[in-house]
Amino acid sequence: MVQPKKQKYLFLAFCLVPAFILFAIFTLYPLFSGLYYSFFDWSGSSSNKEFIGFDNYIKLFQDSIIPDTIKHDYFLVVTKIIGIMVLAMFFAVALTQLKIKEAPFYRIVFFFPNIMSVVVIGILWTFLYNPSLGLINSGLGYLGLEEWAKPWLGDEKWALPSIVLPAVWAGIGLFMLMLMGGIANISKSYYEAAKIDGASEWQQFWKITLPLVWPQIKVSILYIVITTLNGSFILVQVMTGGGPNNATHVMGSYLYQQAFKQYNFGYGATIGVMILILSLITVLFLQFLMRREKIEY
Amino acid sequence: MKRSVGQIMGRTGIRIPLILWTVAVLYPIFWMFLGSFKSNAEIYRNPWGLPESFSLENFNQAWTNYNIDVSVFNSLIVTVIGAILTLVLAIPTAYAIERINFRGSKILFTVYISAMMIPMVLGWIPLFFLLAELNLLDSILGLSIVYAVSQLPFSIFVLTSFISTIPKSLEESAAIDGLSPYGILFKIVTPLTMSGIITVTIMNCIQFWNEYFMALIFLQTETNYTLALAIDYISNEAQYTNAWGTLFASLVIAIVPVIILYIIFQRRIAKGMTEGAIKG
Repeated sequence: MVQPKKQKYLFLAFCLVPAFILFAIFTLYPLFSGLYYSFFDWSGSSSNKEFIGFDNYIKLFQDSIIPDTIKHDYFLVVTKIIGIMVLAMFFAVALTQLKIKEAPFYRIVFFFPNIMSVVVIGILWTFLYNPSLGLINSGLGYLGLEEWAKPWLGDEKWALPSIVLPAVWAGIGLFMLMLMGGIANISKSYYEAAKIDGASEWQQFWKITLPLVWPQIKVSILYIVITTLNGSFILVQVMTGGGPNNATHVMGSYLYQQAFKQYNFGYGATIGVMILILSLITVLFLQFLMRREKIEY
Repeated sequence: MKRSVGQIMGRTGIRIPLILWTVAVLYPIFWMFLGSFKSNAEIYRNPWGLPESFSLENFNQAWTNYNIDVSVFNSLIVTVIGAILTLVLAIPTAYAIERINFRGSKILFTVYISAMMIPMVLGWIPLFFLLAELNLLDSILGLSIVYAVSQLPFSIFVLTSFISTIPKSLEESAAIDGLSPYGILFKIVTPLTMSGIITVTIMNCIQFWNEYFMALIFLQTETNYTLALAIDYISNEAQYTNAWGTLFASLVIAIVPVIILYIIFQRRIAKGMTEGAIKG
């Protein structure tokens, strides 16, 4: 391709500059100025922005709600990983290894909640949990377990676990598909050889399937961690708004409350910095923990 | 013989959890559809059975009392402008990163990709004030731009992988025939990437149609509400008015376009999402 340098750069600029300018303005600049804002006491109007150094960070360490929000976030991370991975793995194996005719039907149905709006999922489940009308309490009554019925989202002890269920419900399909992709790549000859050696299906799962889909498992876990730490607050906001009595506040919903409800924008930014740091540390730590050499037979 | 009986039993056994999960996924959604046809009295009397008659009163209520039509229109505008803007920005960038040799192309790609993993919630506080300064706060156009930029990394990521599958020889022969780089980009590469463009656009449309939190922060007046905000509003009101039927009707309005897209593009959507997730 013979073309003058100048023209090449002009074309390059045409391709890259508009997108990058908008990206810089609406993504990079806000992230960095978020860091900057965290050193200010600021209620939103430009006149009373006051530099206070690390005061917001000191406040962060003294705020008694913060440890709870962190705990709640990691509770969601752990329960979601367990719930989603166990079910997704079970369904992925069932739909690939056992020749079930209607497997595509299950695949299509299980994936659908992944593309539903969080608002729709949250409101639908809030109604399922409704103490008097909801399906869950009526279902328990139907099974003769009335004494288990409770105002799920209004109960300080049960509100947070109740949020896990819709999150798992909405998440499984995607991870099931990722694991199915991994399983499809495993050569059939391994299973045949294992069968000849008399390995049970259970042994085949532990010795062949699980190690060979490890890359997909790893990606799935990291993805759940990132999306939960960066986005769990949306479901929380829709379903409980952080209540009852802060029992479901996660870091993001607390940030929203501090910044956009109580106009502590500087402190909100500090919470945002904490979310950023914690999610980076968690991802790096998990990558270290799960570094396991790729297994090849 | 004994073995095959056992296998048949196993097959049936394995179907039980699959069927249970199918019910768990579908029943709440069906229930929402059924509820949208029931009067409030009927919802209280018979919350999870079939409706006595299929009345459209709830939709009418949502339309007249809560101006759902305005919200639907706003959501449509945000979705369309957002999706088009994303493409306009992402296609040339993806092409340049994938096909033109220049210093820093790897770094640029990494910057875009890392943005997918960073919690944007930190950026929303400054973004709020930035939009206010630019007169784009509480504006459908402002929200569309924010949406487009937020999906830029994902779109660039998917489009580069699609563009990389186009044989280079096509571009080279077009260049020899005297086509300018702009011509190559718009007349050769763009049509050949159509499959990727469609995938990305569907994903972005669903994303924008569904989005809630940025709309919550960046929109304020009711006439600017997107559908997600209108539903949230109806839901909060329903705690007091008990207008559950209207709430169900608004949920149905929100979910029907997504169901239609899913029925048509099921494979593309599933593929697009799994590929987007595997980036890590």
